[in-house]
Amino acid sequence: MAELDDIIHQPLRLKIMAALNALPVSAGLEFSRLKKLTGATDGNLGAHIETLAKAGYVSVDKAFVGKKPQTTVTATAAGRGAFARHVATLQEIIAGKQV
Amino acid sequence: MIDSKEASAALADIDDIVQRVKQSQLYELASLAAVWWGIVVFAGNLVTWLWPIYAVYAWVAVDVLGVAGLVALRLLNPPHHPHGAGFDVRLLLVFVLFFAFGYLCTNVLGHFGPRQLGAFWPIYFMLFYALAGLWFGYAFVAIGLGITALTLIGFFTIGEAFPLWMAFVNGGGLIVGGLWMRRI
Repeated sequence: MAELDDIIHQPLRLKIMAALNALPVSAGLEFSRLKKLTGATDGNLGAHIETLAKAGYVSVDKAFVGKKPQTTVTATAAGRGAFARHVATLQEIIAGKQV
Repeated sequence: MIDSKEASAALADIDDIVQRVKQSQLYELASLAAVWWGIVVFAGNLVTWLWPIYAVYAWVAVDVLGVAGLVALRLLNPPHHPHGAGFDVRLLLVFVLFFAFGYLCTNVLGHFGPRQLGAFWPIYFMLFYALAGLWFGYAFVAIGLGITALTLIGFFTIGEAFPLWMAFVNGGGLIVGGLWMRRI
């Protein structure tokens, strides 16, 4: 019986993983774009990205574009796998296979 | 463990964010196209206003450069972009049909003068923009209706400076609209 992933299950982390998972493999989203998509604040988003990065679910790349710092967040293969399993578990719960 | 209601809510959240990501990527690509068309249309209108005798050549160049830019955008767009992978020949067919119907209206069914042509093509183009917006996002509708309204205002109220008006309304409108798309 599959378990829900506690790291992904938190609402904001679920949104972050869903957004990153909607992109092709190896494509990432800029922090500012992710912030707009999820509606999170800077601090909140940063903290949850850090949690996901510690779990190995996302990678964070910091670079300078001109003089502006730019942070790009990308789902890792492990993150994509965990997200797919999490969604499958949610679907099983809806189908009544798990209570 | 959560119940099925909570699971449904979580899946709905996922669907919602996936739609937003797709919308955002579509706007990103569309904004590049709008800015490119805005630049060439601005130049075309400026040439029409400054050197009317070269207007025909200018607009042929605008159409060729505009379509070539879109084709290049599709080909050069990073392959990881879900809306930009590969070139779809249907895109070229859309433009062939678009220009063929426009030509039929302006030169066969009617015999439009320069002023009518200057108003017809932007309105015709913006009609497709607004219609596409009904499926692909409200920004297309807003840009389409905004440029159409300003074109009609200029057509009925601006005198000889109409091409200059159109440079800013059509060319400038597409550039500003394209940049706005990137921010929403």
